Amino acid sequence: MAVDLSPPNVTRLTVLQGQFKVSAGPKVELSTVLGSCVATCLYDPVVELGGMNHFLLPEPPASHNRGEVDVHYGVYLMEMLINEMLAYGARKDRLRAHLYGGANIRSGMQQIGTANAEFARGFLLRERIELVREDLGGVSARRVDFRPASGQVRCRAVASSDAPEVTPQPVFRPAPRGEVELF
Amino acid sequence: MSKATRILTVDDSASMRALLNHALSTNGFDVSQADDGVSALEWLAVNEVDVVITDINMPRLDGFGLIEQVRGGTRHRDRPILVLTTESSDEKKARARAAGATGWIVKPFDTDKLVAAVRRVAH
Repeated sequence: MAVDLSPPNVTRLTVLQGQFKVSAGPKVELSTVLGSCVATCLYDPVVELGGMNHFLLPEPPASHNRGEVDVHYGVYLMEMLINEMLAYGARKDRLRAHLYGGANIRSGMQQIGTANAEFARGFLLRERIELVREDLGGVSARRVDFRPASGQVRCRAVASSDAPEVTPQPVFRPAPRGEVELF
Repeated sequence: MSKATRILTVDDSASMRALLNHALSTNGFDVSQADDGVSALEWLAVNEVDVVITDINMPRLDGFGLIEQVRGGTRHRDRPILVLTTESSDEKKARARAAGATGWIVKPFDTDKLVAAVRRVAH
């Protein structure tokens, strides 16, 4: 039986696939379970603000249907997380990043975990965001608990059956975004 | 043959700049890029442009500041400026409109809709 080691009065928010969350709450913990997905934890130590995203795939393939988008891609979730942090007072040059996940749990599948990990490292490099800790790759699922107000992270291996299933290709759906309004 | 529409995209995300450059260049636009509002103003001081597409949250000078400075100047004050942002709040949209933005596009962008919007405002 899993034992909850969290201190009392902690509000745990789960960051699901395709989501991101930002908080400065001292009693907030952002949690997620990862297989081949990658979660980025960003932290600004000056304003004591943090955020986490959880993406399934790196970037849209060149062949993707141009009339449709999918917010599960890392390239969007990275930017949305950074912008939300900036909107709440963080500064990009102060951001510190942690990366977790990117396991290749099922040997028969494409190496999605490796592609996600490589994308995340490359993204941080291009954006000049310091990567202070990573726990990427391997064959085990991970659980990540992140305290956004302190920047503390706990990452541990969990049973692969706990990690959400990832399909090799995301399910495209009519664009929920990209709407245009001319004034 | 008519000259390609010249676009300046302003975004602090290198990945988003790459996506925008690909989406717009392959649709025949002449694309230049800046990584924040200050770089955009420096570029605009010495270059001509038909449409500006800008992000909102950027270091040094954000999208609101960029729009206000372009509208307050003389060289490009009548150029269309499209805001391309992950922000979706009505308050931010109203602020962009008040600053003089021409339109508001929510990321992740849809290439076809973005291209159609640029063509509509570029005259």
